[in-house]
Amino acid sequence: MPATEGINMTAYENAIEIKGVTKRYDGFTLDNISFDVPKGCIMGFIGQNGAGKTTTIRSLLHITNIDSGEIRLLGLDHIKDETAVKNRIAVVFDELPFHDVFNAKDMARIFEGMYPEWDNTVYQQYLERFQLPIKKKIGQFSKGMKMKLQIACALSHNAELLVMDEATTGLDPVVRDEILHIFMEYLQNGERSILMSSHITSDLEKIADMVTFIDKGRILLTGYKDEIIEQHGILKCDKEKIQDIDAEDIVSIRLNNFGAEVMVNDRENVSYKYRDCVIDPASLDDIMLYYVHRDVKEWS
Amino acid sequence: MKLYKSLVYRELRLTRNRFILMLILFLLLAALMLTPIMLGGLSGTSEMNEDLLSIVIFACGVVTLTGGIMAGTNNGLQKADINSGWKRYSYILPTTAKQQALSDLLVKLSFILLFGLLSAAFALVCITVSGINFAVEGFDPVCMMLNIYLGSVCAVMLVDIAYSYILMFANDKNQLKIIGVIAFVGAGVVLRVFDLFPGMNNDDKSAKDGAMISQEMVNKFETILCSEKTLLCISAVFVVLCILFFLAMWRSHERREP
Repeated sequence: MPATEGINMTAYENAIEIKGVTKRYDGFTLDNISFDVPKGCIMGFIGQNGAGKTTTIRSLLHITNIDSGEIRLLGLDHIKDETAVKNRIAVVFDELPFHDVFNAKDMARIFEGMYPEWDNTVYQQYLERFQLPIKKKIGQFSKGMKMKLQIACALSHNAELLVMDEATTGLDPVVRDEILHIFMEYLQNGERSILMSSHITSDLEKIADMVTFIDKGRILLTGYKDEIIEQHGILKCDKEKIQDIDAEDIVSIRLNNFGAEVMVNDRENVSYKYRDCVIDPASLDDIMLYYVHRDVKEWS
Repeated sequence: MKLYKSLVYRELRLTRNRFILMLILFLLLAALMLTPIMLGGLSGTSEMNEDLLSIVIFACGVVTLTGGIMAGTNNGLQKADINSGWKRYSYILPTTAKQQALSDLLVKLSFILLFGLLSAAFALVCITVSGINFAVEGFDPVCMMLNIYLGSVCAVMLVDIAYSYILMFANDKNQLKIIGVIAFVGAGVVLRVFDLFPGMNNDDKSAKDGAMISQEMVNKFETILCSEKTLLCISAVFVVLCILFFLAMWRSHERREP
């Protein structure tokens, strides 16, 4: 009996549910993290290098075992229903994990036996679209070509969830834009979801519906991208003025020769409180930067 | 079935160059061993017949032993998969650890079958060319060759299984080296303690006193080598090792990263 038989294939609200996941390493702990990726959504997973993005992704894909917590993918348990889950998900890593001696045709021969829903026509269409040679060895591919091949493989078995770990890192802007466009197309039927980890926040600002921000193994922010950007702002003032600002409004303060820039986490409320100060909108990059320095509060 | 076709295709495609190299070496050795037999067989003199029998037995033994080693040896795929990142990628594929292990075993068994057939073909050519009638000589070449072949396959498979476990438990290259050295020294100690080093059983006898392995030992070895009981034992060991190999591969594919 196939592993997927008897499992309700579509009835789930969240493509990913992570609840209280902890994973301890020597010198690093993924500390009781929780967040959801709703069905049909692109979730940007941001954080600086070593923040725990890759550990989270490895945990949810069961590449590594977690110490505690619960992970559900497409409504199924990520370990108990592993085979059923893995038939319906696709993963793109930052480096191509295929052997250099293979070519694109070999990869199709390998995957068509592994995935019941592998579609050679779709794969062929992606190869043509990406202008990837069929018989050239993968070892002779450029970094961009390798990433495109990995994406072509990932999108050719009708996966409902695409997980990407720093997939666009190291690619030139043209290729990145092309790939982001493909992801938007992939999501169009509303049944598919993407979790995309990256520290290139500009990519996520373009395509993500939601954002989760992780730092030092802890989730600091998770929610709809527009709401997060709307809530935060950079308040510009003199250094003396800082003392008048409530500590609870401040994420952290960047000091410079001209004064101070304060990241505030309730822009609307703060704008009423401090009418004499200018509050600029914050980008995801700014939010990430100020949150990373939240412990020291004042930095330059 | 389609799944195993994919898995086996991947393994065969990746080990193709290695296999071709081994095949060339095997055929070169076979040609080298066949030359004196062909020359002796063509001469047709009666004095040659006794020597020819020894040469044929020696050649078949060497070629079969080499074939067994080549068939049973580690194909380097595990290490290549770790280096390329495929090992990590395999965790996100819908194939189970059991299916992957079975595919590893199938590939191993097909190599064993192939080199076994090649060794048998070599023996057949030797017997035909030399014109020796083994039935008259009272010698069973099939039993001897099977014992040598399966024995060498078993020995190399045992090392392969140990190597697979070392690869499984080593977290980095340094650990791999350390565990490898410990395993190597450990195996040496075990062989020494149980007096399993050939020719070292007689500690107080030096090379000057004559052969370190006596004629009596050689005869005993020959009897064991041509015995059907030995074949039965080695076959049983081979089956056990195949099961152990499958379990080692299963565990290796099932084990997650730390």
